[in-house]
Formats: sequence, structure tokens, C-alpha cells
Amino acid sequence: MSLLERTHDGETKDPPSSSSSYEFTHAAAKSAVAQICETVGYNHFKDPPLESLTGFAIQYILQLGKIATSFANLNGRSHCNVFDIVLALEDLSGNDNNAEERGCSALRSVKLREIIDFVKVSDDGEEESLFLQTLPRFPVSDKRKKMMVPSFVEVGESPPGKHIPLWLPAFPDPHTYKETPMWIERGLDPRGDKIEQARQRRKAERALLSLQRKLVCRISSGDGDRVWGDMDVGTVKEVIREAESEVPEDEKRDGVSVVEAFAPALEAARDVVFGEDHAEWKQKKQKKKKPVALSKLRTEKKFLGEPLDLTLQMKGEDRSMSLREEDRDDKRRRAEFILRQCMENPVDLNQL
Amino acid sequence: MNHGQQSGEAKHEDDAALTEFLASLMDYTPTIPDDLVEHYLAKSGFQCPDVRLIRLVAVATQKFVADVASDALQHCRARPAPVVKDKKQQKDKRLVLTMEDLSKALREVNNSSSLSSCF
Repeated sequence: MSLLERTHDGETKDPPSSSSSYEFTHAAAKSAVAQICETVGYNHFKDPPLESLTGFAIQYILQLGKIATSFANLNGRSHCNVFDIVLALEDLSGNDNNAEERGCSALRSVKLREIIDFVKVSDDGEEESLFLQTLPRFPVSDKRKKMMVPSFVEVGESPPGKHIPLWLPAFPDPHTYKETPMWIERGLDPRGDKIEQARQRRKAERALLSLQRKLVCRISSGDGDRVWGDMDVGTVKEVIREAESEVPEDEKRDGVSVVEAFAPALEAARDVVFGEDHAEWKQKKQKKKKPVALSKLRTEKKFLGEPLDLTLQMKGEDRSMSLREEDRDDKRRRAEFILRQCMENPVDLNQL
Repeated sequence: MNHGQQSGEAKHEDDAALTEFLASLMDYTPTIPDDLVEHYLAKSGFQCPDVRLIRLVAVATQKFVADVASDALQHCRARPAPVVKDKKQQKDKRLVLTMEDLSKALREVNNSSSLSSCF
């Protein structure tokens, strides 16, 4: 089997479920050893000898590291240096011959000289056979876990006590275990809010009442039998325009609902939002073709003139003669109701 | 005095040669990748931030494996070739790493080193 095939086999045989890094590193070491053997002259391998040679190579590295570390520790160091490695090499080679001849210099070591020669030969000779695949940096640190609890240094806090080192995970925020004062919201001004609300309500009521008055005047003056059903589009529009002019600009926002209420069409007024008056208003709407919204309109409702035209025109065309008489009765009843309401609310009138 | 000076000079030369060798290690990339060697060294407690030392260990391991493999190859070549029917096949001998050759080569290594105590 050629080297590349061996490499592929070595990697695909690794069980994916294994969490340890043993299989991964073993496979990487196996392919590296196979590459070295290829440079020596081999072009085919059998699996068992390759496995055992890989094991030997891994053990060699482990033993080198272990012996070098012990030499460093013997000298009172935790980090190894080149001399520790040279001593470890000598130890592993088992040559006691030059134990006495070993001088102060590491270069006197036979093993090291052999390695230097080896490097020179490899460098001067054919191209260096680099490891065919790129290995990721392993072991891969689980950054999720790390990010969950950062250390004092990472957070930028200083630990509360001198005995606590900076590299330990930071303490949780005090609000997680202590009752800290709530965020103080901006100061409420209930009086100011109420005054503002009342002012807006008064404005709306003023406009409504003036409209009511005008409508009532028209109803009661001269045209006794004239009811809403006979009022043509132009008249209603005129009245509403007058009322609109009294209303300040900034209160015309929600005019759609009121316009629809004024419109003779019942369907157009479906989406009006009247709050608690909605149910009552709906009842009235069902009885009459033209809604009488003035009776119990909430003061927040505004007026708009433009959309009214379209709806009124459309609905006016659709009305048939048979329905008109019924409408007239309804309108009459509604007009009387409005009048009664106007009389009954002396407070609102006084505000004008 | 002279002897001391000479040994001192020799020491300086040796140190210079060692430094030069370590520098040359950065140019030569060993076949065994640095990450792999570092992983196994970390397993045994070897702590060193210097990459050159990692490379030194990698090169030492590479040399060890190359020595064993070359010994096994010699054993493979020394073995008499099997009976060949065609003359053409005689020259192209398949060089396969077998357990036989490897065990012979490792036996020599074990006899000559203290590595046998590790296995």
C-alpha cells in the first residue's frame, strides 16, 4: 500500500465517537513515521510493523521529554533547556563511554553530533519531506467553557482580596446574589400628566360641542323634518369643516375613526377604536345607516374632512328609496337624543 | 592558565556552533510536525516555549526512526530473493516493511541503548 493510501486509511479508521485525542495523534504520528520510512527507501508497508514502529517513536518522544524534565527539575528549574535535552539524549542512547569525557559543552555529546550530521545530510541531500497534511492546533480548547467564566484579568476587575490571584475566574456580579436597589425611573409627574390630559380633553370637547350645536341648529331651524338622511353631502361636509377649523392642528391625527362614524356607511366604521364606547356605538350603527357618533363620542376623537367625501358619495349612491323612510325615523330619533344630551351636560357647555 | 584559556576558547567555539546549529534548525523543517511533538512532550511534562528545542526533539526522533528503518531495510535487502519465474521481476524487489525486519532492527537498538527498559 502506498503512503497516501496508508495515510487515508489511518485517518478513516479513527472512530469518530472517541473524545480522547489518542486516535488523532496516533494517526498523525503513523503517517509521519510512514513518511520517514519512505525517505529511507521503503515504498510499501504492512500495518502491524508500522503500528509498532509508530508506538516506538511516540515512546521515544515521551521518554525524551520525561528525562529532560527530570534533569531540569534536578537543577531546580521547571523549564527545560538544550542541555537537558542533550543529557536526555545521552541517557537514552545508553552510551557510558563518554561519561567522563563529557565536558562542559553540550557539543561534546556524541548523540548531538550525530543529529547535527543527520540534519546536514538531510538538508544538503534531497528535499526535506514535510508532513503531507496540515494538523490543526490541538488539543482544541473549549472556548465556550472559557468564555462562560472569564478570569479577573480578562474582566478587568481587581479581586476583592489580596489572597486571590488574578488568573482565577471572576466573582459573579453582586446583583446575582444580593438584593441591590432597583433602577430609579424618571420621576413621575402625575399632576402634570393629568393637567395635560384634561387640557386635551377640553379642546376636543369644545370642538365636538360646537359641532353638535351647529348640527342641532340646523335640525331645529326651519327644516323641522329634515333629518340626517336628507342632509346632503355638501352640508355635512361644510359643518364638519367648520368644526375642523376650530380644532388645533395637532389633534387631527386620529380623524379616521370619527370620519367613518360620520359616514353613512356602516361598513366603513368597523375599525373604529372607541374603547369602552365601542360596543354601544356598534349597536347604534346597526340600527341606523348614518351613524350618530356625536352622542357618545369620546373626547379624544378628532375630525377630518377629506376622506368623508368619498365615503359619503359612495354610500349615497347605493341607497334605495325604500330604505330612506326607515332612515328618516332613525335619524329623527338620533337627533332628539343628541339634543337631550346637550341639555343634560351643562358642564361641557360651560367650558366653552 | 593556557590550558584554561584554551578550554575556555573551545567552550566558546562549541557554544557558537551550538547556537548556529539551533538557528539552522529553523530552516530545516522535520517531517514530524511541531504540534504533534509538542503534544507528546506536554504529556510527559516537558515545558519549554522555545520552538527550536521542540524541533531538536523532532529531529532526534526522526533520526531514531530513520535509523531503525534503514536497519530494517538492510535486513530486507539482505534476505535472499524468492524464486523468480521471470528475469525481469528479479530486479524489482518489493521493499515492504515487515515485522521480521523491524524486530531484528529493534533488537539491535535495544541492545545498544537503555530504551529497552522503557518498553
